[in-house]
Amino acid sequence: MRELLQLAWDALLFKHEAYAQHVACADVLKRGLTLLVLVTLLAGVVSLIVNVVGDLRPMSAEAQRREAEEGIQEFTEYVDTMRQFFDVPPDFEEQMIAYMQAGMGIGFGIEALPTRLPKPVGRVLHDLGAFLSLPFRRLAGWIGYGIWVLLVVKLLGGRATASQMLGATTLYAVPHVLDILGFVPCLGGMLGLVAIVWGIAIYVKALAVANEFSIGRATIATVAPALVGGALALMGLLVLFILALVGSG
Amino acid sequence: MMKALIRLAWEALFLSEAPCVEMRESSNPALRGLGLIVLVAVAVALVGLAGTALEWATTPNMRDIQEAVLEGIQQMPWYQELQSTPEFRGRFQQQYKLWWRIFPRMFGAPDIASAALRIILLPLGLALTWFLYGLVAHLFARLLGGQGGLGQTLGCTALAVAPQLLNMATVFPYLVIGGVVGTWTLLCRYVALKTCHRLTWGRALAATLLPYVAFALLVSFFACLGSVATALIFGGGAQ
Repeated sequence: MRELLQLAWDALLFKHEAYAQHVACADVLKRGLTLLVLVTLLAGVVSLIVNVVGDLRPMSAEAQRREAEEGIQEFTEYVDTMRQFFDVPPDFEEQMIAYMQAGMGIGFGIEALPTRLPKPVGRVLHDLGAFLSLPFRRLAGWIGYGIWVLLVVKLLGGRATASQMLGATTLYAVPHVLDILGFVPCLGGMLGLVAIVWGIAIYVKALAVANEFSIGRATIATVAPALVGGALALMGLLVLFILALVGSG
Repeated sequence: MMKALIRLAWEALFLSEAPCVEMRESSNPALRGLGLIVLVAVAVALVGLAGTALEWATTPNMRDIQEAVLEGIQQMPWYQELQSTPEFRGRFQQQYKLWWRIFPRMFGAPDIASAALRIILLPLGLALTWFLYGLVAHLFARLLGGQGGLGQTLGCTALAVAPQLLNMATVFPYLVIGGVVGTWTLLCRYVALKTCHRLTWGRALAATLLPYVAFALLVSFFACLGSVATALIFGGGAQ
């Protein structure tokens, strides 16, 4: 564990030897994944505690209903403001309120239904499931992008094996420990942005070390899949736009 | 035996080439591979059943939910507008019951019977996919200069079942694994074919992806064939 913490710290500081030693390890991917999972769970632990505490002290149905009614009230005020700028149909507000109240009724109706195990058990299991899903969400994003980077790296003459390359790039997750403060208004968002940029820089460094690339080449390998994906998406939109024009003409 | 198979799958999960080499050199790799697939699939299905049971025990009865949703819908303005139409109510009830048979399962409502059935269906499904993929991948690998035998290919590609181990986490209800297993399986297959047939990375990549392309083409072909047949049958009937 101490070794992993040291690796995480050195990765944050871009220490070349730490990256090189990590890539040279026989179990580079196992170590990297352990770090990624631990960091992601650590970042989500505050949210888990807040959610579990909140769920174990549930609001009364009356308080929940009051809160929902306040939400509808806020919506009507918003619609009233919009009336100054847009032509809102006269019965729009009334209809929307009716739909919201029906939706609320469905929600409260289901909430009031009995379950086989006590309700708090279900709520805690729900929170735990969401918490344990966090590493899988991060893994899906990392591996989904990683295979394209792996392809570009190989085309650029990279020498690392798949496990070395993926194991090295798991280090990108380390700065995301800052997400632990994600619940703090404004600061949380800013720290999240810092973690993203820091993570990308670590990704580039890890690729460079694993494949003995220059930083420039590693940067190209990192951004190329995103650029190609963006270009393809733009082309797709353009084709749709042209088709729509042709169809309307 | 079981312990050795689980160790192989665990090592293969981390894209190590060692388990592929061990599988390739073993006396009966295809049979060992089949054993591994069945073992992993049954374990995953059993664990999934436990998770589903927990989810079922913490979810209200589906029939009660159906009633609650129907009551809510009946309060909505569009329903109140249409309910005066004589045929609407009957047709709506019919459609609503039909949707309720399809959508809850689609959106993952806990179903213990289906989860229990997976103990049989998952090993069958994974074994069938493994066999078909292994067969086609072997063909492409050999065409691309691979040196492994069919048994060796099947043994090594069976190790690509390893990412299914991630599904063991579904013992926790409400946990979402997402698309990570599919992508990871692809990577495991690449490592398996590269190691088994001693291919370069480019050829191994081609041998890994070409079976997917072949299956996609086959499915498209049959879809087109089906469309043409349907058009001929119904078009002919209209005339």
